[in-house]
Amino acid sequence: MTMSMTGPMTMPGAAETTPLLELRDLCLSFQRQEHVAVDRVSLKITAGRTLGLVGASGAGKSSIARAILGLLKPDSGEILFKGENINRMNPRQLKMARQRIQLVFQEPSASLSPRRTVEQTLLEPLQHFAIGSAHQQREKTLQSLQTVGLDQSALKRYPHQFSSGQQQRIAIARALVTSPELLIADEAVAALDVSIQAQILQLIQQLQRDFGITFLFISHDLAVIRQIADEVAVMYRGQVLEQSPADRFFSRPAHPYSRILLTFAGGGTPQNWTSDKWNLERNRNAGHRAAACVFAGFCPEKMTVCENTEPVLRYIQQADLHGQGPHCVKCHLYDEVESNEYRENEL
Amino acid sequence: MTAALRVKNLSVWIESRSGRIPVVDRISFSIKAGEATGLVGESGCGKTMTARAILGQLPVAGIGVSSDGIEVNGKDIYSLNARRRRALLGRDIAMIFQQPATALDPVFTIGQQIGAVYRRHFGGSQQNIRQTTLESLQSVGFSRAEDIAAAYPHQLSGGMRQLAMIAMATVCKPAVIVADEPTTALDSSSRALILQQLKHLQTLHQTAMLYISHDLSVVRQACRDVMVMYCGRIMETTDCQSLFTHARHPYSAGLLACIPQLGATRPAAISSIPGQVPGAADLPGGCHFAPRCSRAEARCRESVPVMTDEDGCGAACFRPL
Amino acid sequence: MTQNTWRRLRSDPYGMSGLVLVTVFALLATCVWTGLLGHGWSEVSGGRYEGASSGHWFGTNLLGQDIFGRTLFGTATAFEVGLLVTFSSTLLGMALGGLAGWYSHGWLDEIILWLKGVLDSIPFYLFAAAVAYALQGSPWAMHLAMIITFWTTTARIIRGEVMRIKEREFIEAARAIGLPGLKTVFRHVLPNTFHILLVQGTIVFVAAINTEVILSFLGLGIQDGVSWGLMLAESSQEVLAGHFGNFIAAGTSLFLLLMGFNLLADALQDALDVRGALN
Repeated sequence: MTMSMTGPMTMPGAAETTPLLELRDLCLSFQRQEHVAVDRVSLKITAGRTLGLVGASGAGKSSIARAILGLLKPDSGEILFKGENINRMNPRQLKMARQRIQLVFQEPSASLSPRRTVEQTLLEPLQHFAIGSAHQQREKTLQSLQTVGLDQSALKRYPHQFSSGQQQRIAIARALVTSPELLIADEAVAALDVSIQAQILQLIQQLQRDFGITFLFISHDLAVIRQIADEVAVMYRGQVLEQSPADRFFSRPAHPYSRILLTFAGGGTPQNWTSDKWNLERNRNAGHRAAACVFAGFCPEKMTVCENTEPVLRYIQQADLHGQGPHCVKCHLYDEVESNEYRENEL
Repeated sequence: MTAALRVKNLSVWIESRSGRIPVVDRISFSIKAGEATGLVGESGCGKTMTARAILGQLPVAGIGVSSDGIEVNGKDIYSLNARRRRALLGRDIAMIFQQPATALDPVFTIGQQIGAVYRRHFGGSQQNIRQTTLESLQSVGFSRAEDIAAAYPHQLSGGMRQLAMIAMATVCKPAVIVADEPTTALDSSSRALILQQLKHLQTLHQTAMLYISHDLSVVRQACRDVMVMYCGRIMETTDCQSLFTHARHPYSAGLLACIPQLGATRPAAISSIPGQVPGAADLPGGCHFAPRCSRAEARCRESVPVMTDEDGCGAACFRPL
Repeated sequence: MTQNTWRRLRSDPYGMSGLVLVTVFALLATCVWTGLLGHGWSEVSGGRYEGASSGHWFGTNLLGQDIFGRTLFGTATAFEVGLLVTFSSTLLGMALGGLAGWYSHGWLDEIILWLKGVLDSIPFYLFAAAVAYALQGSPWAMHLAMIITFWTTTARIIRGEVMRIKEREFIEAARAIGLPGLKTVFRHVLPNTFHILLVQGTIVFVAAINTEVILSFLGLGIQDGVSWGLMLAESSQEVLAGHFGNFIAAGTSLFLLLMGFNLLADALQDALDVRGALN
């Protein structure tokens, strides 16, 4: 994967590029601020890489995806696509941006319009964005279908005539038809059988390799994330608690919540896990005290400071020259680590 | 010792204009009291229909069933008339569903629903029923059983609802519990808890558990034995340990290879099983898996391999691994 | 999908008999429209109250007109009224219900709901009389009155369905590329309501014909031409004198056609129900 150096170098030795997508302090809530879905989230997604966004349901992952596509309006904060603020774009720029960002949903049968043929579904984005002539559009739809492993015979058929694996391929083909730079997959394989899931993941790997498409891959399944993500970000109750390069995340996760998730994913139970601790998702709407760590209620390594002060997102490792992304964590356990301190790659 | 659940040559089919479409093709297995067996397979393999047959829900319009016996504690439920069969449900054999949100009635409290199940089978005084309800809630791990009994389903989280559902299923202390994807709709932490509680109850009441799931890792945590099902037939039956270390049937091995693994390094390539699961109406002759199998020979397409049997383990394959 | 529906419908004996009945009547109506049959409905071709004979299969009425011919013409009238009212009110109901559902809880929804409420509160037959008076006895007054009031039921159903459909992911997908609201409604949402509209349409057809019968009794019905309603209205006096020709002819035809439609509507609903028992 190539990384080009653009933009100002903000610190000595660090490779800094304009991220393809950046979220700055994004806030989003429902029901007039009663339910905070996204709580001051900052994320950077580098072009050509795949960011896996993990967390339990209700953590805010899907809300972020929808906010990026303009389906939900954030309360505050910025969404920058290639450096430009999406909310400040004029309609023409917004249309261009929408072409470049596409979304694949969880339920393949639900995401395809039941009364439209595959051809109509694939042509719709091309026609809406007025990309190419009618002949070129037809070429593009065929190309997309071939990329996902289907052929021409699929064009005149309806979604319900395909299996769920094939339907998901069609959904991916629709996402590819506008040649997007960023593909957001929201639990795109969660509803599929394990052998179909493997086939779709293979397809995604192929898209990563052959087309260099940037992915924001949302999933609650850590094992799936392990297969395809370059970087991992963990969300809990609307906040990003840790963002780390994948290899480091899976071998040495920093945040206690990350460690708990990994233990459960591996089929184990964390130490000292008492029976009331498992209510991690209970009382989704019960606000935590504002000036406290959002995870304090359940953290096995909670300290007094965790209940009084909200931790700051600290960089415990900057992005390095070898292309590894930064490692940042929002936890009082790392208060000793200086923010923005650059360290040699110590692995 | 009599098996708590014994299924002999169970077949289920769908009536269609072009004849019978087989959905489950002569499967047999048994589960002893206090043991847990998993029935694993992908969508369309027939495991849900198997569950419905075992629970006496078949035949219904358009779906036929036949067997040499489905015995719960030695009693063949299909030899009973409909009324007796209904009496059995909930008392001797109970089911835990996948979606606790929809399986629980939203207009009744948890306590009312559990009480209703107990009252139906055993009756008794109001006090007795209440006592039993609270006990069953406590046995699944609720420390504040009174609060839970007074709550409505929507007031509980997904994991708690599933526990309430388990309490409802176990209040009559059934001999057999069929759990249909009990943890699929839950997060990883709730999943661990549910499996823990089910195991606890399994030992406590010596219940025979049949776990139906597409998730092999859940079955590995919860069950001692496992059966792998494909297109209506059982391809392999063995204990979980053996399956994960040395699967004998090519389908089982292929399925295991597809499962994404957590690990220190990221895998270079993901493996998958080529092709697709055939629809029930287009099943190939001979071994159903032959078209997708890398080890298939001519005889695989012509005749159906019989399940080998070594100490209750076996694979339905002419060339097992 | 339509193949499956047709197959399911074919296997339903009640539904098929309904379809046969409706088709037969529709063919008769077509014959009348093309002038093949029933054009002599107003001719006085026989004596008063003649009984059934080879020349007049159902006999003649008070004026000596052939009851059979009048019955045939009535078939055409029934379909005219039925089809016009059904198409117009269904289209209107679909459009307004669709907009109300899509912009639900917005100002457009509020206005449409208010309009619906007002129209539903007006006693229908008073309204029909008022429209007839306002249009000074125009033959279309009846149709207009029905169209203006019948769309509300369809709209209510469509509004609810649209509110459900717009939460589904393929609508999100359309919005995600920035497809404008109106395009999304007409291209993606409404086509998924056609199965409801079809069943609702058959119900409205029946309602329209029934309403016409009552309006004819009130003298507000068909002004030019003849309908079964008019014939029934005529027969209300005649049967007392022992002349049953009109009553039997119109009553039987009405019964058969409406029963046919009802059977068809029920069967269609079952055939279109994709989430059947087997799934």
